[in-house]
Amino acid sequence: MAEKILAKDKLGGFLEGLTSSYEVFAPQESEGKARWARLEDPSGALWEFSNTHLSPKDFFFPQSECMMRFKNLQDGEEGMVMHSEPGLDNKRLLLNIRPCDAKAFQVLDLIFVQDEMTDDFYWRDKREQTTLVGLGCSDPCPTCFCTSMNCGPHSTTGLDVLLVDLGDKLLVKALTEKGEALAQGLEDASPDDLAAAEAQRKSSEEQIESTVGMDQVLSRDMMELYDAGHWSRVQESCLNCGTCTYCCPTCHCFDIQDETQGEDGRRVRNWDSCMSWLFTMHGTGHNPRGTKLDRVRQRFMHKFKYIPAKRGGEIGCVGCGRCVQLCPVNIDVRRVVNDMNA
Amino acid sequence: MEAIAQKIREAAAKLLSEGAVDCVIGYAKGTVPMRDYPYFAYTPEEAQNLTWSPFCTNNLANFLIRRTAGEVGKVAIVAQGCVSRSIVGLIKENQITREQVYILGVPSHGMVDRRKVEARFPLKTITEVLVDGEDLIVKGKGFEERIPQKEVRRSNCYTCVQRNPVIVDEVVAEDGPNDWGGNIDAVAAPWEKLEPLQRWAAFEETVKDCIRCYACRDACPLCYCHVCFVDESQPQWCGKGQDEADVATFHILRAFHCAGRCTDCGACESACPMGIKVRRFTSKIEKDVRQLYDYTPGLDLESTPPLSVYRPNDPQEFIK
Amino acid sequence: MNNLLEYIGIEPGRLHFSWISSAEATKFQDTVIKVTDAVKALGPAQRMVKDIRRVA
Repeated sequence: MAEKILAKDKLGGFLEGLTSSYEVFAPQESEGKARWARLEDPSGALWEFSNTHLSPKDFFFPQSECMMRFKNLQDGEEGMVMHSEPGLDNKRLLLNIRPCDAKAFQVLDLIFVQDEMTDDFYWRDKREQTTLVGLGCSDPCPTCFCTSMNCGPHSTTGLDVLLVDLGDKLLVKALTEKGEALAQGLEDASPDDLAAAEAQRKSSEEQIESTVGMDQVLSRDMMELYDAGHWSRVQESCLNCGTCTYCCPTCHCFDIQDETQGEDGRRVRNWDSCMSWLFTMHGTGHNPRGTKLDRVRQRFMHKFKYIPAKRGGEIGCVGCGRCVQLCPVNIDVRRVVNDMNA
Repeated sequence: MEAIAQKIREAAAKLLSEGAVDCVIGYAKGTVPMRDYPYFAYTPEEAQNLTWSPFCTNNLANFLIRRTAGEVGKVAIVAQGCVSRSIVGLIKENQITREQVYILGVPSHGMVDRRKVEARFPLKTITEVLVDGEDLIVKGKGFEERIPQKEVRRSNCYTCVQRNPVIVDEVVAEDGPNDWGGNIDAVAAPWEKLEPLQRWAAFEETVKDCIRCYACRDACPLCYCHVCFVDESQPQWCGKGQDEADVATFHILRAFHCAGRCTDCGACESACPMGIKVRRFTSKIEKDVRQLYDYTPGLDLESTPPLSVYRPNDPQEFIK
Repeated sequence: MNNLLEYIGIEPGRLHFSWISSAEATKFQDTVIKVTDAVKALGPAQRMVKDIRRVA
């Protein structure tokens, strides 16, 4: 489908049309920051913001998710029978998601829905029921480095529609069937509009000054990176908290537990973090990642070496920069990976 | 403060070149605005990376206990008032020995709460923050503003009772005034004025954004249990999910474990990625400790913490 | 702990402290009855309640 145009003065009507067919969520202002919330009033959607405080991964991989329920009984028909929680009731739409976050979900598709044996229903159902309408970046942050991570401020990977804000109008680029359904009935874009969007893309890419070298990381022998000397310095100040993991759009570690209350029970999946010693603790008392160095190294090796090695070159990071901004001790992933690449 | 930074660099380089310590723990300039980060200097050359600024918002005493296994020996640490009190606490609790630490004492100039600065520029990206005397110059895309530091200091700094370090091995800069004039007892427990239902609403509001990352726990020098209570499974005291009762339990119990030990350094609030005001709980507890036991933690090496010793005249009207 | 829970809005009658030696059987019985009555009088707890049937 050719690119379309949506004038900003028609935006209200367009968004109201969306909210009648989908549950629409969009970044909105909350206490000075951009946060994802249900879009009740179309004028509350933010169009000028860098990125949301936390990633939208919660929409597909909730922090705390009940997977199954059961009756905690030894006898009876229902005893110990697991009932899977149903999928979503309604179709959802994430409006103004940034291209880096959308790409992150494509990366996570490779983890959660790998093949017949690893088909995570909870993830897949939410992905299938959700449409992603992205907003190209016009004003990247100093901490963004998406261009080094096979992504970019106007990247289309993982999106159903890409919007580019041209001031008084939006360029609407449908990328999938889901996207085309939304863009039906909009006017075609003019060559000037296309040129303006292209100019914004170039300008945004140029504004991203952080570069992270990956060529050596991808080509070097795994054990050479593993045994490198710089890890002991990287891990010194790490607190082993979970901040980087929880704000990251591509991190996906989890912990599954059964909780019972009298006769009722549920199986719940919660976010977990490889930064925690408990994450790899065995029942025997052995811990394969028992030292802080092991755990800190794991984070970077997993995202930048193991995932590319096992997932056909896809990097486990999209360069959103949230971990750089939120790490309490300012461990900067850009610096670490550049050290790995040196 | 740049003068102090220079003195720290010189003192550190001297200690390292003489071999008096194996490592100097201080701060280095961060890669994002308003955040300097804990830095470990092992050589006089590395000591040149040390800095000191209003953005040194961690508690370095944390790193005295979280050293990599096998590392012993002597370390030097840059410590202002609250951090030196934490060091005193760790020594009293036998987590480190006095001889293992060489304290480079610095009077605190008060630390900036970056969230207060960010709140003045909602949704905008700050690209650089410079210190200019008593002010900050905040720069971003399309704006530049001057803000007096005293308007954006960390809340705990305003009511600090000990800006100067309590124990030192080497004085990096002369002691200054010991407080900012704030009265901690006046602000320590604001909810005492509220009705119970309002208190519960305020409590829920405080912890609603918690993502259980445990940055507060991991930034705190007092949280050094090998197995934290949240990691216990037999029994499981606290669920791992986001149920309100579980989140509440974590915060209540963590605050309670710090009772009589917390020096109100603010590292927990500075570390929290969600900006949760976790100090609301410890400040109430410490106020009670002051009133019930007339004790403020970490001021000297001799006094015994009241919650670790029984005295016949301990207040106990709550026990029926 | 008592003060902290009261500070965050948990009703004072829900948490009670008492020193009872194993030789003070009568005191134990009396205290249990008193605490049970006090808590019952407050009604079902509304705060700090986790119910997995309610939670998503």
